[in-house]
Amino acid sequence: MLSAIPPSCSWPDLKSPWDLAMPINSNGNGNSAAKPRDLPDETDNTNVGFHNNFDESVILASKLRQHQISGGGNGAAAAAAKMMLHPQFLMASARGGLPQNDVIDGSSFKGGDGSIQELFNGFGAGSMNGTGQASSQSMQHFNHPQGGAMPAQNFGAQVAATTAVMNQPQPSGSNGGAPAQPRQRVRARRGQATDPHSIAERLRRERIAERMKALQELVPNANKTDKASMLDEIIDYVKFLQLQVKVLSMSRLGGGAAAVAPLVADMSSEAGGDCIQAGSKGGSLARPSNGSQTARTNDSSLTVTEHQVAKLMEEDMGSAMQYLQGKGLCLMPISLATAISTATCHSRSPAINNHHHPLLQPNGEGPTSPSMSVLTVQSATMGNVGGDGGAAKDAASVSKP
Amino acid sequence: MASKHTIATRHAQGIRARFASRFLRSLLRLRRSGNRFGGSQSNDEGIGKRIRTDRIKIAAYAAMARAVGPRRTWSRALLFKLRNRARIHGVSRKRCLVSEKKRVTRNKVVAISSREPSRADTLRKLVPGGDSMDTCVLLEETAHYIKCLATQVTVMQSIADRLLL
Repeated sequence: MLSAIPPSCSWPDLKSPWDLAMPINSNGNGNSAAKPRDLPDETDNTNVGFHNNFDESVILASKLRQHQISGGGNGAAAAAAKMMLHPQFLMASARGGLPQNDVIDGSSFKGGDGSIQELFNGFGAGSMNGTGQASSQSMQHFNHPQGGAMPAQNFGAQVAATTAVMNQPQPSGSNGGAPAQPRQRVRARRGQATDPHSIAERLRRERIAERMKALQELVPNANKTDKASMLDEIIDYVKFLQLQVKVLSMSRLGGGAAAVAPLVADMSSEAGGDCIQAGSKGGSLARPSNGSQTARTNDSSLTVTEHQVAKLMEEDMGSAMQYLQGKGLCLMPISLATAISTATCHSRSPAINNHHHPLLQPNGEGPTSPSMSVLTVQSATMGNVGGDGGAAKDAASVSKP
Repeated sequence: MASKHTIATRHAQGIRARFASRFLRSLLRLRRSGNRFGGSQSNDEGIGKRIRTDRIKIAAYAAMARAVGPRRTWSRALLFKLRNRARIHGVSRKRCLVSEKKRVTRNKVVAISSREPSRADTLRKLVPGGDSMDTCVLLEETAHYIKCLATQVTVMQSIADRLLL
């Protein structure tokens, strides 16, 4: 392939640098001062951008020559091929611009890549430092005269990125040059891709990130940073809202028992609290009918309920919750109950309090006793009461105010 | 009467009021029709309750979809589904749904049952009309859908509170 390259290059202006380079090859010590003098005459007819590129490339080529010689590198053929490929690559990039950053196809670049790394090694005082420091610095130098032309930026990004993957120690450069070097993929830096595909993808990703942020504000409990868990939260919340609509539509028919089962099954999720509240509405429909009865048998009915619930809790939590919900009651920790009752004392109006307690105090007064620990929770402000229901087994009680 | 109503509440009161008025009207309609058929609406065993439950739920979703209008993809899809359901009313519902899916399915949702349903697919199933959207649009529609569902729930809750007081 090395031999194939010279004949295949049909670019007229390529001949001149190569011809120029060849004498230097034979000389053994290229004068970097001599080169730029000759070149402007040769390459004036080509485009100026190429002239700039080529200037640099020739300097690099000369440095490479020196380094090759000093390092006892391989023969003229490989070095010449490298120089050959190097300006070839630069020409290609100046002409058409490299279309991709991520995948550089063509072995020419591969060869150029390796040679460039060696060149920078040469810049780094001939030492085999694998760090990107010297090379990136020299890269800056290299790029400046070109006025930040796009191919040069590509070039800079690629080379700066590939110094990390550089694996061409100087001595191993003698293994035959371009074809023997392993294929190295060049990745652009994050956010600097110029490929239209990656730009489109980046736009898409940004749009999705925007929407996710907007969703985060809508969904409660949205402190997740991970996109996947955020999606899970969203899904759960949508399911919960749909379940609430279903339950609310049932509550207008007198508390269908069918509504309670899905609520109980869903107890473990965060939506449990609201489910219980919704279920209590179903129970509350039955209340006005036996409200009067409750007025008379306050004490006994509550105790009976309490015993019943305790018995049910021993066998199966689910059935206990079902029973409670059938009555329009819920289970909550005593501390929370006291907090709520005192809060409702202060903040709520008596009309709403009436509404809250036809179940336990049908006389219509507001909540008077903080010892009352079984309440129906009608508003959605009590977030996860139901979620604690299972855990509050020991802390809750049905008590008479 | 309907047109006057829609003109009056175009965007002046927001989606909440629009939904509330539509839902209340449909509830009244349901109650009247329920009264006409049976003496009382409660105490129908089993199937009757379920049917009424479903009717109320459907009325809620229909009211919400109409309140949103054809502006959003999910409301359009929801209205379409409800119209089909009303037309066919359960006899060939499966067939209708399948045909609807075929109609809206694009290349993106080629039916590959061997693939594990990703989160986006689950979300597509939940949001009405989610099949024919790509992920970006899906998230946007989900946001609006969640907002509307939340207002629906609060309105229904307050109605239930007032009704059952």
